[in-house]
Amino acid sequence: MPPATDLLQGTLDLLILQTLAPGPMHGWGVAQRIQQISNEVLQIGQGSLYPALHRLEYKGWISADWGISDNNRKARFYSLTETGRSQLETELATWDRLSEAIALVLGRQPEAAS
Amino acid sequence: MIQLLREILPRLRFLLAPRPQPELDDELSFHIAQSTDRNLAVGMSPAEAHRQALIELGGIQRTREQCHQQRPGWWLATVAQDIRYALRGFRRNPVFTLAVIATLCVGIGATTAVFSVVDRILFRPLPYAHPDRLVSFGLSQPLQRQEFTLGGFFYEWRDNQQPFESVTFEQGTNECNLTEANPAHLQCARIAQNFLPTLGIPPQLGRNFTPEEDEANGPKVALISDGLWLSRYNRDPRILNQFIPIDDHPVRIVGVLPASFEMPRLQPADIVRPAQVDVAAQHNANAGIGVPMWAFARLKPGVSVAQAHAEMQPLFLHTQQWIPAQFRQEFHFQVRSIRDRQMQEAYTAAWVLLGAVFVVLLIACANVASLFSARGASRQRELAVRSALGASRLRLIRQTLTEVALLAVAGAVLGCVLAQILLRVFIAIAPTGVPFLADAKLDFRIVLFTVALTVICAALVGMFPALEKPRSSALAARQTRSSTHARLRRVLVAVQIGLSVVLLSGAALLLKSFLGLENQRLGMQTAEVITVHIPVTDERYPTGTAYLDFYQHAEAALRRLPGVTAVGMSDSLPPDGNAWHHAMRYADFFVDGKPAASPTTGGSVVWRLATPDYFRALQIPILQGRGFTEQDRSTGGDLIVLSKLLADRLFPNENAIGQHIQFGNYNPYFVLDGPVFTVVGVAGNVRNQGLADQVNPEFYELWSNHHPESWNSRCTFLLQTSLGPSVIAPWVRSQIAQLDPTAPVEINTMAQTVTRLADRPRFETALLAFFALCGLLMAVIGLYGVISFVATQRTQEIGIRMALGATRLNILRLIAAEGVRLILLGGVLGLAAALASAQLLKSLLFNVAPHDPLTYAAVTLLLAMVALAATLIPARAAMKVEPVVALRYE
Repeated sequence: MPPATDLLQGTLDLLILQTLAPGPMHGWGVAQRIQQISNEVLQIGQGSLYPALHRLEYKGWISADWGISDNNRKARFYSLTETGRSQLETELATWDRLSEAIALVLGRQPEAAS
Repeated sequence: MIQLLREILPRLRFLLAPRPQPELDDELSFHIAQSTDRNLAVGMSPAEAHRQALIELGGIQRTREQCHQQRPGWWLATVAQDIRYALRGFRRNPVFTLAVIATLCVGIGATTAVFSVVDRILFRPLPYAHPDRLVSFGLSQPLQRQEFTLGGFFYEWRDNQQPFESVTFEQGTNECNLTEANPAHLQCARIAQNFLPTLGIPPQLGRNFTPEEDEANGPKVALISDGLWLSRYNRDPRILNQFIPIDDHPVRIVGVLPASFEMPRLQPADIVRPAQVDVAAQHNANAGIGVPMWAFARLKPGVSVAQAHAEMQPLFLHTQQWIPAQFRQEFHFQVRSIRDRQMQEAYTAAWVLLGAVFVVLLIACANVASLFSARGASRQRELAVRSALGASRLRLIRQTLTEVALLAVAGAVLGCVLAQILLRVFIAIAPTGVPFLADAKLDFRIVLFTVALTVICAALVGMFPALEKPRSSALAARQTRSSTHARLRRVLVAVQIGLSVVLLSGAALLLKSFLGLENQRLGMQTAEVITVHIPVTDERYPTGTAYLDFYQHAEAALRRLPGVTAVGMSDSLPPDGNAWHHAMRYADFFVDGKPAASPTTGGSVVWRLATPDYFRALQIPILQGRGFTEQDRSTGGDLIVLSKLLADRLFPNENAIGQHIQFGNYNPYFVLDGPVFTVVGVAGNVRNQGLADQVNPEFYELWSNHHPESWNSRCTFLLQTSLGPSVIAPWVRSQIAQLDPTAPVEINTMAQTVTRLADRPRFETALLAFFALCGLLMAVIGLYGVISFVATQRTQEIGIRMALGATRLNILRLIAAEGVRLILLGGVLGLAAALASAQLLKSLLFNVAPHDPLTYAAVTLLLAMVALAATLIPARAAMKVEPVVALRYE
């Protein structure tokens, strides 16, 4: 059973996991990617990014390795672990259920069922 | 499972190998470099680009800390930090630490030890099935308040009763001898066939009696106790169906009782045998009222004791007709639970102790609370500083709780050790009469309870300062002061003083009563008297003449011993008050030539058989006339000696000597057919109702040779000798063994017998005095702590006062006044509470009124002196402060 997390923290975790799904990425990249994909709507408070990354690492959902970034800097690359991948699926399912339910309560059709 | 492992393993890895700090710093500086690059690309100046990047991150240190907090072991690490911090604080403040630990230790230790003792007495589980439904019922009357019954009544009740599921009885225990090689003196109980099933006691080996075995003149069978089975037969199961000789008769063993077995009246029993009562004969035997027995019953489910009493009352009224009319009104029907019957006098003492425990616990709580409160007040600044440095409210509270927990653990461990020691001491000094004390054990539920209570007190009070919003003024103020806490502490100290007054006065009352008990005049000399009891049995000495013959030979043999100056004989010994078969009603005295006393005249009279030397051995003075002489024993004549009390009552302003007295008999109807007794003398009064009760009138009947039927195994020799019992005992034994090698011999000193009667009050007094001292000690610690704290807090003020011209005496008065106010307040409250609660002690007191003014005055004086000393020590210290030092103080 996944540990219960509050909506906000859970959402950030979900976003990070989803961002890391295609492949390893460093912390700065994760923040940029989320900002970019969400059309600059989701500004990740950078102060909460690193605690979240560390928390996920401690939970064993992601793992970290030192590597070299595009511009030749030493950077810490995070990648999804096996546990993390299944956790992502669980969280996505939960998210879908939740957003559908909220949409129903608010009386709106889900605009796009991704 | 694998999933779980996968989740836990990485955490464990991080817990064991913490991530090095530089790693995080590298990561963060990479992040800032990336942000700076992006900002440069947008066109910012290098300095501005770096600044914006830092702003975006939101503070490196904060992020660093937050990342650190994500670590699985983080919480544990802070606890360790709290503990280290607390320990450092304790080392800086050893007086506070020691005071709290000592208070907890004494509070937890004393209450646990005493509660463990009292728990065994008041709340121990009885070794029967569903003991809450077991009752004892029967008749009670002024000479015998513990209910009993008689065969004639019992069977009538048994056959017509409604409220009970089953009804049974036992017939008490008798001494019996196991007459095989290496004879043993045992206690044999007689029980009904359904006794064990009714009480719910299954034999651990063999079986209960069959109904056939319980019929009159049935086969001789027995169950033996676990103790006897072990000591005599080494738990050999082959003992079943063996025959053992009891009083020279072969008895077949059919079972072994469980180890937990005890008779409901708590008499010792090594062997139980069927009562084999002849039911049909009960209306003829013993003047038509049947043999004595003690009845027990199991209530039907849902029936209360009161209901059972109400339902049995008509049956009792119906059977009342068999009681002779003269004392019909004296008899009452009584039903009560077995536990109530067992606990009789122990109840009051146990509740008083329990009350004392509670008071000590309250004092301990108040003390811990006031110590923590004082510490909290002095730490306000420290808390303000920590809070300003970023400690959260939760963190400050946790710090306090950590300190409380550490002290509680130390106090609890030491308290358990103290409790164990105290329990040993209690058991060692306890009288044999206190049931089940010997197997009292520490009750860890109570340890938990007391620890929890004191910890809650400490935690609540200790958290006050942390809960308050730390004021910025606390940071700035040179002096910290909190009036609400000061008031709380003063109230707590006053309460402690009050409570210790209650304890002290209770203990002082008991002590005074006990000293009175020890030192009172017995009316006889017990110092150089040795008693010898030879409990031979009817089987070996079937007639009174045989007993008389044996005891006369024994008397002659004992007289021949060197160093023995007198050998008296009696069937009972003063001052024991338990010998109820030696009591008579005053109304049954019929003096020749005088009108009979009215049948309702109250009062009982003690009656004792005695030989001439009885008075010499105990040095009881003959005040008038003469005692018995050796010639009287054989020449006949029924002679009696009256005690002074009885003589004054029967013959006020008359000469008692030469008067003739007869005693009424009920057979079952009143007749006056007994011998006519002649009064030959009047002896001094001797205490005969135990140590505490008043003296009853008494008379001595000459134990003469021409009434052989009056001789039985109750005969006890009184030897007056200046030789110690260790010298005389082997001589006595060898003399008796020459007469009858199978006769058991019990030797005691009279002084021991008397001291034993005071065992129980001694025990109660010792316990309560111990509590009172604990309470006083803690109250004094509390007072000292508060006054010295106040004095330290006011050091600067003292400096200013002195600089302005106050003398040292003024300062002493200033500080001491605080203490005196508390002492007065607590003392007055305590006296009021003590006077109000003293009534509870009344039944434990002897010759002391519960409101004895002298005791209260002494207690008040003692408390005032000790408390004043506790005030003056810190006050003197304050007085000696150098003004310059005081002014500069913090």
